[in-house]
Amino acid sequence: MPATSALLEIHDLSVYYGGIRALHGVSLRVERGEIVAVIGANGAGKSTLMKTIAAVKSYQNGTIFFEGQPLPKDTHKVVTSGITLVPEGRRIFAPLSVRENLLVGAYTRSNRQDLEKNMEEVFQLFPRLKERIHQRGGTLSGGEQQMLAVGRALMSQPKLLMLDEPSLGLAPIVIDAMFETIVRLNRDLGLTILLVEQNASLALELCHRAYVLKTGEIVMEGTGKDLLEDPRVRASYLGIK
Amino acid sequence: MELFIQQLVSGVSIGAIYALLAVGYALVYSVYNFTNWAFDAFMAFGAFMAFVGISSLFMPFWLAMILSILLTILLSVGAESMAYRPLRERKAPRLFMMISAMGVNLAVVNIINLIFGGTFRKFPVESVQPIFVGNVSIGRMDLIAGLISFGVLALLWLFLYRTRWGLGIRASAIDIQTAALMGINNNAVAIIIFVITGVLSAIAGVFYGIKYAVYPMMGIVTIKAMIASIVGGLGSLPAAIVGSMLLGVLETLVSGYISSSYRDLFSFLFLIVILLFFPNGLMGKNVDEKL
Ligand SMILES: Nc1ncnc2c1ncn2[C@@H]1O[C@H](COP(=O)(O)OP(=O)(O)O)[C@@H](O)[C@H]1O
Ligand SMILES: [Mg+2]
Repeated sequence: MPATSALLEIHDLSVYYGGIRALHGVSLRVERGEIVAVIGANGAGKSTLMKTIAAVKSYQNGTIFFEGQPLPKDTHKVVTSGITLVPEGRRIFAPLSVRENLLVGAYTRSNRQDLEKNMEEVFQLFPRLKERIHQRGGTLSGGEQQMLAVGRALMSQPKLLMLDEPSLGLAPIVIDAMFETIVRLNRDLGLTILLVEQNASLALELCHRAYVLKTGEIVMEGTGKDLLEDPRVRASYLGIK
Repeated sequence: MELFIQQLVSGVSIGAIYALLAVGYALVYSVYNFTNWAFDAFMAFGAFMAFVGISSLFMPFWLAMILSILLTILLSVGAESMAYRPLRERKAPRLFMMISAMGVNLAVVNIINLIFGGTFRKFPVESVQPIFVGNVSIGRMDLIAGLISFGVLALLWLFLYRTRWGLGIRASAIDIQTAALMGINNNAVAIIIFVITGVLSAIAGVFYGIKYAVYPMMGIVTIKAMIASIVGGLGSLPAAIVGSMLLGVLETLVSGYISSSYRDLFSFLFLIVILLFFPNGLMGKNVDEKL
Protein backbone atom coordinates (compact mmCIF):
# COMPACT_ATOMS: atom_id res chain seq x y z
CA MET A 1 0.00 0.00 0.00
CA PRO A 2 1.38 3.38 -0.94
CA ALA A 3 1.19 6.00 1.79
CA THR A 4 -1.70 8.33 1.08
CA SER A 5 -3.05 11.45 2.68
CA ALA A 6 -6.40 9.84 3.52
CA LEU A 7 -7.29 9.47 7.20
CA LEU A 8 -8.87 6.07 6.63
CA GLU A 9 -8.09 3.93 3.62
CA ILE A 10 -9.73 0.55 3.10
CA HIS A 11 -8.62 -1.62 0.23
CA ASP A 12 -10.22 -4.81 -1.12
CA LEU A 13 -11.80 -5.83 2.17
CA SER A 14 -13.62 -9.16 2.43
CA VAL A 15 -15.40 -10.38 5.54
CA TYR A 16 -17.15 -13.69 6.20
CA TYR A 17 -19.52 -15.05 8.82
CA GLY A 18 -18.60 -18.71 8.75
CA GLY A 19 -18.88 -19.54 5.06
CA ILE A 20 -21.20 -16.65 4.27
CA ARG A 21 -19.63 -13.61 2.66
CA ALA A 22 -20.85 -10.34 4.16
CA LEU A 23 -18.38 -7.94 2.49
CA HIS A 24 -16.65 -8.50 -0.82
CA GLY A 25 -13.74 -6.45 -2.12
CA VAL A 26 -14.80 -3.25 -0.40
CA SER A 27 -12.53 -0.25 -0.97
CA LEU A 28 -13.23 3.16 0.47
CA ARG A 29 -11.43 6.15 1.86
CA VAL A 30 -12.22 8.95 4.26
CA GLU A 31 -10.27 12.22 4.01
CA ARG A 32 -9.63 14.44 7.00
CA GLY A 33 -12.55 16.80 7.64
CA GLU A 34 -15.05 14.86 5.55
CA ILE A 35 -18.42 13.37 6.30
CA VAL A 36 -18.60 10.13 4.37
CA ALA A 37 -21.83 8.14 4.22
CA VAL A 38 -22.36 4.51 3.32
CA ILE A 39 -25.94 3.81 2.35
CA GLY A 40 -27.53 0.45 1.70
CA ALA A 41 -30.58 -1.65 2.40
CA ASN A 42 -31.07 -3.79 5.48
CA GLY A 43 -28.55 -6.65 5.39
CA ALA A 44 -26.24 -4.95 2.87
CA GLY A 45 -23.28 -5.24 5.25
CA LYS A 46 -23.17 -1.74 6.73
CA SER A 47 -22.84 -2.83 10.34
CA THR A 48 -20.34 -5.48 9.34
CA LEU A 49 -18.20 -2.75 7.80
CA MET A 50 -18.37 -0.66 10.99
CA LYS A 51 -17.60 -3.67 13.20
CA THR A 52 -14.67 -4.68 11.02
CA ILE A 53 -13.10 -1.23 11.23
CA ALA A 54 -13.71 -1.26 15.01
CA ALA A 55 -11.98 -4.69 15.14
CA VAL A 56 -15.00 -6.37 16.71
CA LYS A 57 -15.14 -8.55 13.59
CA SER A 58 -12.02 -9.97 12.00
CA TYR A 59 -11.40 -9.85 8.25
CA GLN A 60 -9.95 -12.44 5.94
CA ASN A 61 -8.74 -10.31 3.11
CA GLY A 62 -7.75 -6.71 2.41
CA THR A 63 -6.11 -3.84 4.27
CA ILE A 64 -7.25 -1.07 6.55
CA PHE A 65 -4.92 1.90 6.99
CA PHE A 66 -5.51 4.70 9.46
CA GLU A 67 -3.23 7.75 9.33
CA GLY A 68 -0.97 5.76 7.04
CA GLN A 69 -0.56 2.91 9.54
CA PRO A 70 -2.18 -0.53 9.53
CA LEU A 71 -5.12 -0.44 11.91
CA PRO A 72 -4.63 -2.53 15.11
CA LYS A 73 -6.64 -5.77 15.39
CA ASP A 74 -7.70 -5.33 19.01
CA THR A 75 -10.92 -3.42 19.63
CA HIS A 76 -9.55 -1.31 22.48
CA LYS A 77 -6.42 -0.41 20.49
CA VAL A 78 -8.53 0.91 17.62
CA VAL A 79 -10.08 3.34 20.11
CA THR A 80 -6.66 4.35 21.39
CA SER A 81 -5.48 5.03 17.87
CA GLY A 82 -8.39 7.44 17.35
CA ILE A 83 -11.49 5.71 15.95
CA THR A 84 -14.64 5.46 18.07
CA LEU A 85 -17.85 3.76 16.96
CA VAL A 86 -21.34 4.71 18.08
CA PRO A 87 -22.83 1.23 17.68
CA GLU A 88 -26.15 0.38 16.09
CA GLY A 89 -28.94 0.48 18.66
CA ARG A 90 -26.87 2.88 20.86
CA ARG A 91 -25.84 0.24 23.42
CA ILE A 92 -25.59 2.66 26.30
CA PHE A 93 -24.86 1.21 29.75
CA ALA A 94 -28.42 1.23 31.10
CA PRO A 95 -27.68 0.79 34.84
CA LEU A 96 -24.96 3.45 34.86
CA SER A 97 -25.74 7.14 35.27
CA VAL A 98 -25.39 9.57 32.37
CA ARG A 99 -22.20 10.87 33.94
CA GLU A 100 -20.75 7.38 34.36
CA ASN A 101 -21.62 6.53 30.75
CA LEU A 102 -19.65 9.59 29.64
CA LEU A 103 -16.75 8.62 31.91
CA VAL A 104 -16.62 5.15 30.37
CA GLY A 105 -16.32 6.92 27.02
CA ALA A 106 -13.28 8.74 28.38
CA TYR A 107 -11.67 5.49 29.57
CA THR A 108 -8.68 5.66 27.22
CA ARG A 109 -7.93 9.31 27.83
CA SER A 110 -4.54 10.04 29.31
CA ASN A 111 -5.04 13.79 29.83
CA ARG A 112 -7.65 13.44 32.52
CA GLN A 113 -7.48 17.03 33.73
CA ASP A 114 -9.49 18.17 30.71
CA LEU A 115 -12.21 15.62 31.41
CA GLU A 116 -14.67 17.96 33.10
CA LYS A 117 -14.12 20.59 30.41
CA ASN A 118 -14.74 17.98 27.73
CA MET A 119 -17.90 16.88 29.50
CA GLU A 120 -19.10 20.49 29.54
CA GLU A 121 -18.58 20.60 25.77
CA VAL A 122 -20.75 17.52 25.39
CA PHE A 123 -23.41 19.18 27.57
CA GLN A 124 -23.29 22.28 25.36
CA LEU A 125 -23.99 20.04 22.40
CA PHE A 126 -26.72 18.14 24.25
CA PRO A 127 -28.12 20.26 27.12
CA ARG A 128 -30.72 17.55 27.82
CA LEU A 129 -27.94 15.27 29.06
CA LYS A 130 -26.87 17.79 31.65
CA GLU A 131 -30.39 17.92 33.07
CA ARG A 132 -30.29 14.14 33.41
CA ILE A 133 -26.68 13.81 34.56
CA HIS A 134 -27.44 11.63 37.60
CA GLN A 135 -30.23 9.62 35.98
CA ARG A 136 -29.61 6.04 34.92
CA GLY A 137 -28.98 5.76 31.20
CA GLY A 138 -31.78 3.22 30.86
CA THR A 139 -34.40 5.75 31.94
CA LEU A 140 -33.66 8.12 29.03
CA SER A 141 -35.84 8.37 25.93
CA GLY A 142 -34.58 6.93 22.65
CA GLY A 143 -33.44 10.33 21.39
CA GLU A 144 -31.65 11.11 24.64
CA GLN A 145 -29.97 7.71 24.56
CA GLN A 146 -28.67 8.47 21.06
CA MET A 147 -27.34 11.80 22.36
CA LEU A 148 -25.66 9.94 25.20
CA ALA A 149 -24.16 7.40 22.80
CA VAL A 150 -22.71 10.18 20.65
CA GLY A 151 -21.58 12.15 23.69
CA ARG A 152 -19.93 9.06 25.15
CA ALA A 153 -18.01 8.50 21.93
CA LEU A 154 -16.93 12.15 21.82
CA MET A 155 -15.45 11.80 25.31
CA SER A 156 -12.71 9.65 23.79
CA GLN A 157 -11.75 12.63 21.58
CA PRO A 158 -11.70 10.57 18.37
CA LYS A 159 -10.04 11.60 15.15
CA LEU A 160 -12.68 9.61 13.28
CA LEU A 161 -16.20 9.23 14.63
CA MET A 162 -18.19 6.32 13.19
CA LEU A 163 -21.96 6.23 13.47
CA ASP A 164 -24.01 3.10 12.75
CA GLU A 165 -27.57 4.12 11.84
CA PRO A 166 -27.95 7.08 14.19
CA SER A 167 -31.55 7.57 12.98
CA LEU A 168 -32.70 4.05 13.86
CA GLY A 169 -35.93 4.00 15.86
CA LEU A 170 -36.10 7.76 16.41
CA ALA A 171 -38.98 10.17 15.72
CA PRO A 172 -38.47 12.37 12.62
CA ILE A 173 -38.04 15.59 14.62
CA VAL A 174 -35.42 13.93 16.85
CA ILE A 175 -33.62 12.60 13.76
CA ASP A 176 -33.43 16.12 12.31
CA ALA A 177 -31.86 17.45 15.51
CA MET A 178 -29.38 14.58 15.60
CA PHE A 179 -28.30 15.15 12.02
CA GLU A 180 -27.94 18.87 12.64
CA THR A 181 -25.61 18.04 15.49
CA ILE A 182 -23.59 15.73 13.26
CA VAL A 183 -23.16 18.52 10.71
CA ARG A 184 -22.15 20.91 13.48
CA LEU A 185 -19.57 18.48 14.86
CA ASN A 186 -18.02 18.33 11.42
CA ARG A 187 -18.32 22.00 10.43
CA ASP A 188 -17.56 23.69 13.76
CA LEU A 189 -15.18 21.22 15.38
CA GLY A 190 -13.63 19.78 12.23
CA LEU A 191 -14.45 16.20 13.24
CA THR A 192 -14.15 13.58 10.51
CA ILE A 193 -17.22 11.35 10.35
CA LEU A 194 -18.02 8.02 8.72
CA LEU A 195 -21.67 7.13 8.95
CA VAL A 196 -23.80 4.28 7.65
CA GLU A 197 -27.51 4.72 7.14
CA GLN A 198 -30.55 3.00 5.74
CA ASN A 199 -32.20 6.42 5.68
CA ALA A 200 -30.49 7.35 2.42
CA SER A 201 -31.97 10.77 1.70
CA LEU A 202 -30.92 12.16 5.07
CA ALA A 203 -27.43 10.73 4.82
CA LEU A 204 -26.87 11.94 1.26
CA GLU A 205 -28.03 15.45 2.10
CA LEU A 206 -25.52 15.98 4.85
CA CYS A 207 -22.47 14.07 3.61
CA HIS A 208 -19.66 15.24 1.37
CA ARG A 209 -19.21 11.89 -0.32
CA ALA A 210 -21.06 8.62 -0.20
CA TYR A 211 -20.80 4.97 -1.17
CA VAL A 212 -23.66 2.65 -2.02
CA LEU A 213 -23.30 -0.82 -0.53
CA LYS A 214 -25.33 -3.65 -2.03
CA THR A 215 -25.10 -7.23 -0.73
CA GLY A 216 -21.57 -6.66 0.48
CA GLU A 217 -20.20 -4.81 -2.53
CA ILE A 218 -19.69 -1.12 -3.26
CA VAL A 219 -21.76 -0.52 -6.38
CA MET A 220 -21.58 3.27 -6.63
CA GLU A 221 -19.74 6.21 -5.20
CA GLY A 222 -19.86 9.96 -5.58
CA THR A 223 -20.67 13.22 -3.86
CA GLY A 224 -23.86 13.29 -1.84
CA LYS A 225 -25.36 15.70 -4.35
CA ASP A 226 -24.55 13.52 -7.36
CA LEU A 227 -26.01 10.44 -5.76
CA LEU A 228 -29.16 12.28 -4.70
CA GLU A 229 -29.70 13.10 -8.40
CA ASP A 230 -28.74 9.70 -9.74
CA PRO A 231 -31.83 7.97 -11.16
CA ARG A 232 -30.77 4.50 -9.95
CA VAL A 233 -30.21 5.75 -6.42
CA ARG A 234 -33.49 7.65 -6.55
CA ALA A 235 -35.36 4.54 -7.62
CA SER A 236 -33.72 2.00 -5.29
CA TYR A 237 -32.93 3.99 -2.15
CA LEU A 238 -35.04 7.13 -2.14
CA GLY A 239 -38.27 5.58 -3.39
CA ILE A 240 -38.62 8.21 -6.14
CA LYS A 241 -39.53 7.09 -9.64
CA MET B 1 -28.18 -13.00 76.68
CA GLU B 2 -24.37 -13.15 76.76
CA LEU B 3 -24.44 -16.42 74.92
CA PHE B 4 -26.74 -14.93 72.31
CA ILE B 5 -24.41 -11.98 71.68
CA GLN B 6 -21.41 -14.31 71.48
CA GLN B 7 -23.28 -16.39 68.92
CA LEU B 8 -24.16 -13.28 66.97
CA VAL B 9 -20.53 -12.15 66.75
CA SER B 10 -19.40 -15.60 65.75
CA GLY B 11 -22.18 -15.74 63.15
CA VAL B 12 -21.21 -12.40 61.66
CA SER B 13 -17.57 -13.50 61.40
CA ILE B 14 -18.46 -16.71 59.56
CA GLY B 15 -20.94 -14.68 57.51
CA ALA B 16 -18.09 -12.36 56.53
CA ILE B 17 -16.12 -15.36 55.22
CA TYR B 18 -19.16 -16.50 53.22
CA ALA B 19 -19.43 -12.94 51.92
CA LEU B 20 -15.87 -12.99 50.57
CA LEU B 21 -16.67 -16.19 48.70
CA ALA B 22 -20.09 -15.06 47.51
CA VAL B 23 -18.66 -11.80 46.18
CA GLY B 24 -15.93 -13.72 44.37
CA TYR B 25 -18.52 -15.82 42.57
CA ALA B 26 -20.73 -12.82 41.83
CA LEU B 27 -17.84 -10.85 40.33
CA VAL B 28 -16.86 -13.55 37.83
CA TYR B 29 -20.48 -14.39 37.08
CA SER B 30 -21.44 -10.78 36.47
CA VAL B 31 -18.88 -10.31 33.71
CA TYR B 32 -18.52 -13.79 32.20
CA ASN B 33 -21.87 -15.42 32.98
CA PHE B 34 -20.28 -18.60 34.21
CA THR B 35 -19.85 -20.05 37.67
CA ASN B 36 -16.18 -20.33 38.50
CA TRP B 37 -16.20 -23.84 39.93
CA ALA B 38 -12.45 -23.61 40.53
CA PHE B 39 -13.01 -21.00 43.21
CA ASP B 40 -13.35 -23.49 46.07
CA ALA B 41 -10.05 -25.11 45.10
CA PHE B 42 -8.40 -21.67 45.23
CA MET B 43 -9.76 -21.31 48.73
CA ALA B 44 -8.22 -24.61 49.86
CA PHE B 45 -4.99 -23.69 48.09
CA GLY B 46 -4.88 -20.37 49.96
CA ALA B 47 -5.40 -22.10 53.30
CA PHE B 48 -2.65 -24.65 52.57
CA MET B 49 -0.16 -22.00 51.47
CA ALA B 50 -0.64 -20.08 54.72
CA PHE B 51 -0.40 -23.38 56.58
CA VAL B 52 2.94 -24.14 54.91
CA GLY B 53 4.15 -20.60 55.54
CA ILE B 54 3.57 -20.93 59.26
CA SER B 55 4.39 -24.57 59.97
CA SER B 56 7.27 -25.18 57.51
CA LEU B 57 8.70 -21.72 56.84
CA PHE B 58 8.06 -20.46 60.41
CA MET B 59 6.54 -17.24 59.19
CA PRO B 60 4.50 -15.02 61.46
CA PHE B 61 0.77 -15.16 60.72
CA TRP B 62 0.56 -11.91 58.77
CA LEU B 63 3.48 -12.86 56.51
CA ALA B 64 2.00 -16.29 55.83
CA MET B 65 -1.25 -14.54 54.94
CA ILE B 66 0.53 -12.32 52.41
CA LEU B 67 2.35 -15.32 50.93
CA SER B 68 -0.94 -17.16 50.62
CA ILE B 69 -2.63 -14.18 48.93
CA LEU B 70 0.21 -13.73 46.42
CA LEU B 71 0.36 -17.41 45.48
CA THR B 72 -3.42 -17.67 45.19
CA ILE B 73 -3.44 -14.61 42.90
CA LEU B 74 -0.90 -16.43 40.71
CA LEU B 75 -3.07 -19.54 40.65
CA SER B 76 -6.22 -17.58 39.88
CA VAL B 77 -4.65 -15.53 37.09
CA GLY B 78 -2.95 -18.68 35.79
CA ALA B 79 -6.32 -20.43 35.56
CA GLU B 80 -7.72 -17.39 33.75
CA SER B 81 -4.97 -17.24 31.17
CA MET B 82 -4.65 -21.00 30.59
CA ALA B 83 -8.15 -22.38 31.15
CA TYR B 84 -10.61 -19.52 30.53
CA ARG B 85 -9.09 -16.99 28.14
CA PRO B 86 -8.41 -19.47 25.31
CA LEU B 87 -12.06 -20.55 25.49
CA ARG B 88 -13.29 -16.97 25.60
CA GLU B 89 -11.22 -16.08 22.57
CA ARG B 90 -12.77 -18.98 20.69
CA LYS B 91 -16.20 -17.73 21.79
CA ALA B 92 -16.93 -21.05 23.52
CA PRO B 93 -20.35 -21.50 25.15
CA ARG B 94 -20.37 -20.86 28.87
CA LEU B 95 -20.97 -24.54 29.60
CA PHE B 96 -17.43 -25.15 28.31
CA MET B 97 -16.12 -22.48 30.66
CA MET B 98 -17.76 -24.21 33.61
CA ILE B 99 -16.39 -27.59 32.61
CA SER B 100 -12.95 -26.05 32.24
CA ALA B 101 -13.33 -24.55 35.71
CA MET B 102 -14.29 -27.96 37.10
CA GLY B 103 -11.14 -29.35 35.52
CA VAL B 104 -9.02 -26.71 37.24
CA ASN B 105 -10.80 -27.52 40.49
CA LEU B 106 -10.13 -31.27 40.21
CA ALA B 107 -6.50 -30.71 39.29
CA VAL B 108 -5.79 -28.30 42.16
CA VAL B 109 -7.64 -30.29 44.83
CA ASN B 110 -5.96 -33.53 43.79
CA ILE B 111 -2.49 -32.01 43.68
CA ILE B 112 -3.05 -30.67 47.19
CA ASN B 113 -4.28 -34.11 48.24
CA LEU B 114 -1.23 -35.76 46.69
CA ILE B 115 1.23 -33.47 48.45
CA PHE B 116 -0.41 -33.04 51.83
CA GLY B 117 -2.73 -36.04 52.13
CA GLY B 118 -6.42 -35.87 52.85
CA THR B 119 -6.29 -35.53 56.63
CA PHE B 120 -7.86 -32.69 58.59
CA ARG B 121 -5.22 -30.41 60.06
CA LYS B 122 -5.52 -27.83 62.74
CA PHE B 123 -4.42 -24.44 61.49
CA PRO B 124 -1.19 -23.57 63.36
CA VAL B 125 -2.22 -20.47 65.31
CA GLU B 126 -2.06 -20.46 69.10
CA SER B 127 -5.47 -20.16 70.63
CA VAL B 128 -5.32 -16.71 72.15
CA GLN B 129 -7.35 -15.44 75.08
CA PRO B 130 -10.76 -14.16 74.04
CA ILE B 131 -11.55 -10.51 74.58
CA PHE B 132 -14.15 -9.75 77.25
CA VAL B 133 -16.68 -7.00 76.75
CA GLY B 134 -18.58 -7.08 80.03
CA ASN B 135 -19.52 -10.73 80.40
CA VAL B 136 -19.43 -11.38 76.68
CA SER B 137 -16.35 -13.20 75.45
CA ILE B 138 -15.39 -12.65 71.84
CA GLY B 139 -12.93 -14.92 70.06
CA ARG B 140 -9.94 -12.89 68.96
CA MET B 141 -9.77 -14.72 65.63
CA ASP B 142 -13.48 -14.17 65.05
CA LEU B 143 -12.86 -10.50 65.52
CA ILE B 144 -9.82 -10.41 63.23
CA ALA B 145 -11.58 -12.50 60.58
CA GLY B 146 -14.62 -10.24 60.68
CA LEU B 147 -12.63 -7.01 60.59
CA ILE B 148 -10.29 -8.06 57.79
CA SER B 149 -13.14 -9.48 55.72
CA PHE B 150 -15.23 -6.35 56.06
CA GLY B 151 -12.16 -4.22 55.40
CA VAL B 152 -11.46 -6.11 52.19
CA LEU B 153 -15.08 -5.84 51.08
CA ALA B 154 -15.05 -2.10 51.77
CA LEU B 155 -11.85 -1.71 49.73
CA LEU B 156 -13.41 -3.68 46.92
CA TRP B 157 -16.45 -1.41 46.99
CA LEU B 158 -14.22 1.67 46.82
CA PHE B 159 -12.32 0.13 43.93
CA LEU B 160 -15.46 -0.71 41.96
CA TYR B 161 -17.32 2.53 42.59
CA ARG B 162 -14.61 5.13 42.96
CA THR B 163 -11.91 4.28 40.42
CA ARG B 164 -11.54 4.32 36.67
CA TRP B 165 -10.72 0.59 36.55
CA GLY B 166 -13.72 -0.14 38.75
CA LEU B 167 -15.95 1.72 36.31
CA GLY B 168 -14.40 -0.31 33.50
CA ILE B 169 -15.29 -3.52 35.32
CA ARG B 170 -18.85 -2.37 35.96
CA ALA B 171 -19.25 -1.39 32.31
CA SER B 172 -17.85 -4.77 31.25
CA ALA B 173 -20.35 -6.52 33.53
CA ILE B 174 -23.17 -4.75 31.72
CA ASP B 175 -22.00 -5.17 28.13
CA ILE B 176 -18.50 -6.47 27.53
CA GLN B 177 -18.47 -5.81 23.79
CA THR B 178 -19.56 -2.20 24.09
CA ALA B 179 -17.02 -1.78 26.89
CA ALA B 180 -14.34 -2.83 24.38
CA LEU B 181 -15.74 -0.33 21.88
CA MET B 182 -15.09 2.33 24.51
CA GLY B 183 -11.45 1.32 24.66
CA ILE B 184 -11.58 -1.06 27.63
CA ASN B 185 -9.17 -3.96 27.25
CA ASN B 186 -11.24 -7.08 27.96
CA ASN B 187 -8.21 -9.16 28.87
CA ALA B 188 -6.91 -6.56 31.31
CA VAL B 189 -10.33 -6.51 32.98
CA ALA B 190 -10.20 -10.31 33.23
CA ILE B 191 -6.82 -10.17 34.94
CA ILE B 192 -8.03 -7.58 37.45
CA ILE B 193 -11.10 -9.69 38.21
CA PHE B 194 -9.07 -12.85 38.74
CA VAL B 195 -6.56 -11.01 40.93
CA ILE B 196 -9.49 -9.88 43.08
CA THR B 197 -10.98 -13.37 43.29
CA GLY B 198 -7.54 -14.72 44.18
CA VAL B 199 -7.33 -12.31 47.11
CA LEU B 200 -10.88 -13.08 48.24
CA SER B 201 -10.47 -16.85 48.12
CA ALA B 202 -7.11 -16.83 49.92
CA ILE B 203 -8.42 -14.72 52.80
CA ALA B 204 -11.59 -16.78 53.06
CA GLY B 205 -9.54 -19.99 52.97
CA VAL B 206 -7.21 -18.91 55.75
CA PHE B 207 -9.96 -17.75 58.12
CA TYR B 208 -12.16 -20.73 57.38
CA GLY B 209 -9.16 -22.98 58.00
CA ILE B 210 -8.57 -21.30 61.36
CA LYS B 211 -12.21 -21.61 62.36
CA TYR B 212 -12.62 -25.25 61.36
CA ALA B 213 -9.75 -27.19 59.78
CA VAL B 214 -7.44 -27.29 56.78
CA TYR B 215 -8.06 -30.16 54.35
CA PRO B 216 -8.10 -30.56 50.55
CA MET B 217 -11.89 -30.68 50.29
CA MET B 218 -12.49 -27.69 52.58
CA GLY B 219 -13.70 -25.67 49.58
CA ILE B 220 -16.96 -27.60 49.76
CA VAL B 221 -18.09 -24.79 52.07
CA THR B 222 -18.45 -22.55 49.02
CA ILE B 223 -21.87 -24.20 48.60
CA LYS B 224 -22.84 -21.95 51.53
CA ALA B 225 -21.67 -18.92 49.60
CA MET B 226 -23.89 -20.05 46.74
CA ILE B 227 -26.86 -20.37 49.08
CA ALA B 228 -26.05 -16.94 50.48
CA SER B 229 -25.95 -15.32 47.04
CA ILE B 230 -29.25 -16.92 46.04
CA VAL B 231 -30.87 -15.87 49.31
CA GLY B 232 -29.61 -12.32 48.84
CA GLY B 233 -30.42 -12.13 45.13
CA LEU B 234 -28.21 -13.60 42.46
CA GLY B 235 -25.52 -11.51 40.81
CA SER B 236 -25.64 -8.46 43.06
CA LEU B 237 -22.71 -7.74 45.38
CA PRO B 238 -24.59 -6.04 48.25
CA ALA B 239 -27.20 -8.81 48.14
CA ALA B 240 -24.46 -11.44 48.37
CA ILE B 241 -23.13 -9.75 51.49
CA VAL B 242 -26.54 -9.48 53.17
CA GLY B 243 -27.36 -13.10 52.34
CA SER B 244 -24.02 -14.22 53.76
CA MET B 245 -24.53 -12.40 57.05
CA LEU B 246 -28.01 -13.85 57.50
CA LEU B 247 -26.79 -17.35 56.74
CA GLY B 248 -23.76 -17.06 59.04
CA VAL B 249 -25.87 -15.86 61.96
CA LEU B 250 -28.60 -18.46 61.34
CA GLU B 251 -26.04 -21.24 61.29
CA THR B 252 -24.34 -20.26 64.52
CA LEU B 253 -27.66 -19.85 66.27
CA VAL B 254 -28.79 -23.29 65.10
CA SER B 255 -25.46 -24.82 66.20
CA GLY B 256 -25.60 -23.02 69.53
CA TYR B 257 -29.24 -23.57 70.50
CA ILE B 258 -30.25 -26.71 68.63
CA SER B 259 -27.40 -28.87 67.37
CA SER B 260 -24.52 -28.40 65.01
CA SER B 261 -25.53 -31.57 63.17
CA TYR B 262 -28.71 -29.79 62.00
CA ARG B 263 -26.78 -26.74 60.83
CA ASP B 264 -26.68 -27.59 57.14
CA LEU B 265 -30.25 -28.86 57.18
CA PHE B 266 -31.36 -25.46 58.40
CA SER B 267 -29.24 -23.69 55.77
CA PHE B 268 -31.03 -25.48 52.97
CA LEU B 269 -34.43 -25.06 54.65
CA PHE B 270 -33.69 -21.36 54.91
CA LEU B 271 -32.92 -21.25 51.18
CA ILE B 272 -36.16 -23.01 50.30
CA VAL B 273 -38.30 -20.84 52.57
CA ILE B 274 -36.76 -17.63 51.26
CA LEU B 275 -37.25 -18.72 47.66
CA LEU B 276 -40.89 -19.58 48.38
CA PHE B 277 -41.60 -16.02 49.44
CA PHE B 278 -38.94 -14.15 47.46
CA PRO B 279 -38.30 -16.03 44.21
CA ASN B 280 -35.59 -13.50 43.23
CA GLY B 281 -33.95 -13.56 46.64
CA LEU B 282 -34.38 -10.91 49.33
CA MET B 283 -32.84 -8.07 47.36
CA GLY B 284 -33.13 -9.50 43.86
CA LYS B 285 -34.00 -6.86 41.32
CA ASN B 286 -33.59 -6.23 37.63
CA VAL B 287 -31.24 -8.63 35.92
CA ASP B 288 -29.51 -5.72 34.18
CA GLU B 289 -28.16 -4.37 37.44
CA LYS B 290 -25.43 -6.81 38.19
CA LEU B 291 -22.79 -5.10 40.29
N1 LIG C 1 -23.27 -12.50 13.59
C1 LIG C 1 -23.63 -12.86 12.33
N2 LIG C 1 -23.58 -14.15 11.96
C2 LIG C 1 -23.93 -14.53 10.71
N3 LIG C 1 -24.32 -13.68 9.76
C3 LIG C 1 -24.39 -12.38 10.07
C4 LIG C 1 -24.04 -11.89 11.37
N4 LIG C 1 -24.22 -10.55 11.40
C5 LIG C 1 -24.64 -10.21 10.17
N5 LIG C 1 -24.74 -11.29 9.37
C6 LIG C 1 -25.15 -11.29 7.96
O1 LIG C 1 -24.29 -10.43 7.23
C7 LIG C 1 -25.02 -9.64 6.33
C8 LIG C 1 -24.78 -8.18 6.60
O2 LIG C 1 -25.33 -7.84 7.85
P1 LIG C 1 -25.16 -6.39 8.49
O3 LIG C 1 -23.77 -5.97 8.35
O4 LIG C 1 -25.73 -6.42 9.86
O5 LIG C 1 -26.10 -5.53 7.53
P2 LIG C 1 -26.69 -4.06 7.72
O6 LIG C 1 -26.06 -3.43 8.88
O7 LIG C 1 -26.39 -3.38 6.42
O8 LIG C 1 -28.17 -4.23 7.91
C9 LIG C 1 -26.47 -10.05 6.46
O9 LIG C 1 -26.78 -10.98 5.45
C10 LIG C 1 -26.54 -10.70 7.81
O10 LIG C 1 -27.52 -11.70 7.82
MG1 LIG D 1 -26.87 -2.65 10.58
